[in-house]
Amino acid sequence: MSVGKIIQISELTVQVLLSSNDVKIRDVLYCILDGKKHSFEIVELNDHYATAIPFSNVRGLKKGIELEKEKEDLSIYYNDEILGKVFDAYGNLIDNTTIENQTKRSVYQKNLSLEEINIQGDILRTGIKVIDFFTPIQKGSKMGLLGGAGVGKTVLIKELIHNVYQSLSSNAVFVGVGERSREGKELYDEMKESNLLSKISMVFGQMGENSIARSKAIYSGLTLAEYLRDEKKQDVLLFIDNIYRYIQARSEISTELKRIPVENGYPTTMISDISTIEERINSVENGSITSFQAIYIPADDITDEAVQTVLSHLDGQIVLDRDVAEKGLYPAVNVFRSTSKLIDKEKIGEKHYQLVQQVLAYLTRYEELEEIIAVLGIEELSESDRNIFYRSRKLRNYFTQPMFVAENYTNIKGQFVKLEDVLIDVENILNGTYDNIDEDKFLYIGTMHE
Amino acid sequence: MDDVESLEEKMKAIEEGKNVYETGAVVKVLDYMIEVRGLPNVSYMERVEVQNKGYGYVNKIMPNSVMVAMMKIDTAIYVGDIVTSTTQEYKAYYSKDAMGRITNLFGQDLLTDKYYEHMEAIPIERETIPLMDRTKVERPLQTGITGIDLIYPIGKGQRQLIIGDKKTGKTQICLDTIVNQKGKNMICIYCAIGKTKKEVKNIYYELLQKGAMQYSLIIAAFNDDLPPVMTQTPYFALSVAQSYMENGYDVLVCLDDLKRHAESYREISLISGKAPGRDAYPADIFYTHSRLLEKGCQYKNGASITILPVVETTSGDITDYISTNIISITDGQIVLSSKNFQKGLKPAIDYGLSVSRLGGQVQEQDMKVLGSLVRRKLLSYLETRDVYELANVDEMSEELKEKMKNGQKILDALTQYKYEPRSVEETIQKFSFLEGNNEQHT
Repeated sequence: MSVGKIIQISELTVQVLLSSNDVKIRDVLYCILDGKKHSFEIVELNDHYATAIPFSNVRGLKKGIELEKEKEDLSIYYNDEILGKVFDAYGNLIDNTTIENQTKRSVYQKNLSLEEINIQGDILRTGIKVIDFFTPIQKGSKMGLLGGAGVGKTVLIKELIHNVYQSLSSNAVFVGVGERSREGKELYDEMKESNLLSKISMVFGQMGENSIARSKAIYSGLTLAEYLRDEKKQDVLLFIDNIYRYIQARSEISTELKRIPVENGYPTTMISDISTIEERINSVENGSITSFQAIYIPADDITDEAVQTVLSHLDGQIVLDRDVAEKGLYPAVNVFRSTSKLIDKEKIGEKHYQLVQQVLAYLTRYEELEEIIAVLGIEELSESDRNIFYRSRKLRNYFTQPMFVAENYTNIKGQFVKLEDVLIDVENILNGTYDNIDEDKFLYIGTMHE
Repeated sequence: MDDVESLEEKMKAIEEGKNVYETGAVVKVLDYMIEVRGLPNVSYMERVEVQNKGYGYVNKIMPNSVMVAMMKIDTAIYVGDIVTSTTQEYKAYYSKDAMGRITNLFGQDLLTDKYYEHMEAIPIERETIPLMDRTKVERPLQTGITGIDLIYPIGKGQRQLIIGDKKTGKTQICLDTIVNQKGKNMICIYCAIGKTKKEVKNIYYELLQKGAMQYSLIIAAFNDDLPPVMTQTPYFALSVAQSYMENGYDVLVCLDDLKRHAESYREISLISGKAPGRDAYPADIFYTHSRLLEKGCQYKNGASITILPVVETTSGDITDYISTNIISITDGQIVLSSKNFQKGLKPAIDYGLSVSRLGGQVQEQDMKVLGSLVRRKLLSYLETRDVYELANVDEMSEELKEKMKNGQKILDALTQYKYEPRSVEETIQKFSFLEGNNEQHT
């Protein structure tokens, strides 16, 4: 039965003159035109008018087309068959497979209450030296992955999937938001080749798709992760690449709705939108969601409003830096700006804590020395400064690592390094055991006793 | 044109008793955007005509009027002018005869200003290629430029940004690449966006002289074309590329340049009253470029579209809004530095800032091994050179001296004049001095 007809069309919105009162925000309307189904989600109601956003291109739509209402809100499969499958942002399968069990669930869910949320969790080892050492990760925590364009974010995400899956054997959900389709497909292929596909579900709303798709993918992905956490009682890994694109998509929609923007054109509802999503990513008594969220930094500007809004929800951040990447040091982690709430004597132990402090002190001094050397030359340094200088360069090289998923770029086999080994090596570099070894020998290795 | 076809359709519509010539009247003129009252049955993106004065497409449908973006305006439009609907989606015209010519999206041969005889109407923009229809990008596309083929390689189906200041040789890299595709079964499309007529003519003659026009075509929107034409032209170029790809051809598309494209899109958005965002660009500027560049892919049928978008920067700043947007879409970037250019290091590639996200995946084994060695040595050299700039050479360790010497040799071997392509064998030959140096890692 028709609930209204279209009276206005622009690229990302349609206005509907309603003939029924039985509609609410987030209801899905549809029409079928030349055999093609067009769906719309209601985002604003105003007396007899509704504003709805189209899921696909509006090309060919006309005024006067009658719309009908779907029985359910936007929903996605909620059962065991989701594993190994690929969905689009609206919960449809896109990998030519089928799902028998039709149990579905709305992608919009209630947030957890204070009582339900569990904040305890062990430390999760990633096997990536620079992360386990400087920014250890707690099960159930939210880690940001920051980096401007082209400094190796996605590679790091793939390495994390690869390494963390092997040590936890929990299922994972990957949500591709506004990133490259090529990478999405390659991730799928790589998962398939390494027999990891049956352990992961993927949802994609990539950059070639309109802003509605890009803004909905995250809700669908969250619902899948919640299924694994609540029904299967797992420690789920959730990868979101890239959460900034969600805000970007929301700004596009907001502009079309003619809402007043805040700074840099971001939507007025940005802060509440992000809070709603982030509060759903939490751990409960019987299951946890550990999330890695890539955050794109527009115009290399870390003070960007959207980036800061996301950061305020995270337990730690891993910052990738163009200056480091430029020197050919991968993963290009900026250790000064990367943080973790676990860097605390009580949580990681006295030794690890002391080493982190000492290494940071060395590297900070190194940065200062670099400037001095540029003017005076190395010879003018005192012996202790010269030691710091050379050892810091070794440390810096040591924290590069051959990665499994980067074998193509580096042509070096990947390595999973245990934290215990890292602590020993770092201590030895600091106390001068390796002073006679050339700094280049520290590049792209696993541990020193190889 | 397909006049016959559309006439037949109209005849049929008349027989069926439909009102073919629905009309409306202009009520508002904002440069090239006009508001038309009437036209109750037009569809979104439909082609409409302002009688004898030009035509455009429906950009927005409102309860009592529609907004039309004009693609062509021959004489001034007045309020009250009659606008006719066509019941057709707005389409561009393309002819296979355009190969070897300079053409625009109206199906005009710009060298003669005549319309092609056999044209077909094609959609300006085709549907996004589904994620699952893509396959791995892994076949190398030889540009003939050592610094690219060896260090930051481009594969068929890759999108590689070329970015740099004015006069650093951005267009030259596109031209070198096109010329090097001779005899390699590629179709090359050079799409000029907002270039001057003089520049485009120059490019045409240069490609003609090198014998590259046999397998190339130039699609142009000049800097004096209407902004809607300028913004639609790259989509049209990719639509043409897509139809070739679906027929099994490998296609290379150069988009020169997207900064200009972004500016003309911004102009339209602001005139249409959309809220400005960062740097006054509209909120959907990212999507404007992302969906364009997402047409580049290795397709399931084995064919591909490779895209080389060009972006111009000012004073070497690649961190501005549009540049970072496009960097985050493409599969890598070749950064050109004016400092290198002035030092005579040509092509003026900044090896530190350039990136290929695909790397060795798109190289043959030999090139892959050599490439990763050269890249590592070069980056390490460039960084060391900065730090040890003032150190006394005599007091350097042997290892360091060797490193400095080899580094300079690598830089020399990467220097190359335009239109002097090197084959894989020649490149490997150039770096034979590194032999025996291929240490531990492999």
